Amino acid sequence: MIQNIVCSFLGTVGFSVVSNVPREFALYCGLTGMTGFVTYVLLLTYMSPAFSAFFATMLVVLLSRIFAVWRKCPITVFLIPGIIPLVPGTYVYYTAYYFVMNELSLALAKGIDAMKLAFAIVLGIVFIVSIPRQFFSIQYWKKQLSHHKN
Amino acid sequence: MYFGVIFGNARNGRTVYRCGNVKKVGTIMESDKIKIQGNSSDLRAENELGKCNNSEQPEMHRVLELALEAGCILLKNGAEIFRVEETIWHICNRYHIEQMDAFVLSNGIFLTAHQKGEENFARVKYVPLAKIHLGIVTEVNALSREIAAGKLDIEEAFARLEEIEKMPPRKDWQLILASGLSCGSFCYLTQKNTPASCMAFAIGIVLYIFLLFARRYKLSKLIINIVGGGLITVLALIATSLPLPFKVGFSQVIIGSIVPLIPGMAFVNSIRDIADSDFISGIVRMLDALLVFVYIAVGVGCVLIFYEQVLGGTIR
Repeated sequence: MIQNIVCSFLGTVGFSVVSNVPREFALYCGLTGMTGFVTYVLLLTYMSPAFSAFFATMLVVLLSRIFAVWRKCPITVFLIPGIIPLVPGTYVYYTAYYFVMNELSLALAKGIDAMKLAFAIVLGIVFIVSIPRQFFSIQYWKKQLSHHKN
Repeated sequence: MYFGVIFGNARNGRTVYRCGNVKKVGTIMESDKIKIQGNSSDLRAENELGKCNNSEQPEMHRVLELALEAGCILLKNGAEIFRVEETIWHICNRYHIEQMDAFVLSNGIFLTAHQKGEENFARVKYVPLAKIHLGIVTEVNALSREIAAGKLDIEEAFARLEEIEKMPPRKDWQLILASGLSCGSFCYLTQKNTPASCMAFAIGIVLYIFLLFARRYKLSKLIINIVGGGLITVLALIATSLPLPFKVGFSQVIIGSIVPLIPGMAFVNSIRDIADSDFISGIVRMLDALLVFVYIAVGVGCVLIFYEQVLGGTIR
């Protein structure tokens, strides 16, 4: 588990440097990616890869939105590196590999797995992105609370 | 509607007035919606309002050019469609241009604006796809916030924008090292094999050197990804056929080394554009991401076929 935590953190930080994220945000990117991947691995024991990717993605997007509102910067900065550990690169590679090896049924199976994961990620992103923006600001909730009291 | 107060006349015949929370000196624009207070400045304010159309025209061009430039820089460096639209809108709104329409696609911005029914500004700007630089997106976003808050005047904003556009990417060695780092750690994540991730680290470094070289000579995306995929495979085949004491499957190495080629930006942005109902841009970017995956697969596949069928190697 410690290996998972350290490696997903380092990998995401590396990817954030490659996409020129400002230096002060690299740490948050690493945190986002780490949370996503650790969640994915933990959920994998209970449910299918697609479902765990869905929930992990939701967590990643939620975390990046919170960071984005907090640090007043575009959500893209955290989201792009954060989602990378979940992108089904392995499945895409095996699709190509079995395709070349002429094992077409295996290639198809891996390809469909990759599609499933991709759709899970898409849904995870769409669900959280559709939450209205003001829900993430503290002022809004303070205002709501004070309305409630009055 | 009541938006501002005229304080009176300053030196050299200019008017000091307040619009919202911003204190201004100069010509009153009609869009400032001033309520005239006091008797002495009544006439003057009327005159100013009459003049404002002619004197504002060059100003409007500058504002729209600023908005267009900011949008173009954002789009080029990997921002979403709605962020570009919002930035253009914020800038125009701040400088009181209300009759403005912006239409943003994944590689073009269409901007028209007119005043008093007379068309004044229309530009179509083609924005080529470039490499992503999220630092620039962050900076332009911050600049847009400052402009919207009324902290900057237009010439200062232009200067800042120019400065931001020249912002260099990270130093080459940092990029190369980071690429190696992410390859190595993603390899370890999926494979749990230390020698394989060391190899992936080395291959990631070589791959990024190739990518930097390719970007310097502006090779097309197709070539970059096919050759990149091929390069990874060749290196992985060489590395795994070395006489080493531990067993490493080359698939393990390739899976790690593929990471710097993954089109993360295109994938995530396409989803976000589709979620915002910007379907055209979303589909274009989605196709971009899918094609990059196909190119990588073609590169890897070609080398594997060549290795197996021409050189007679066995794929482990």
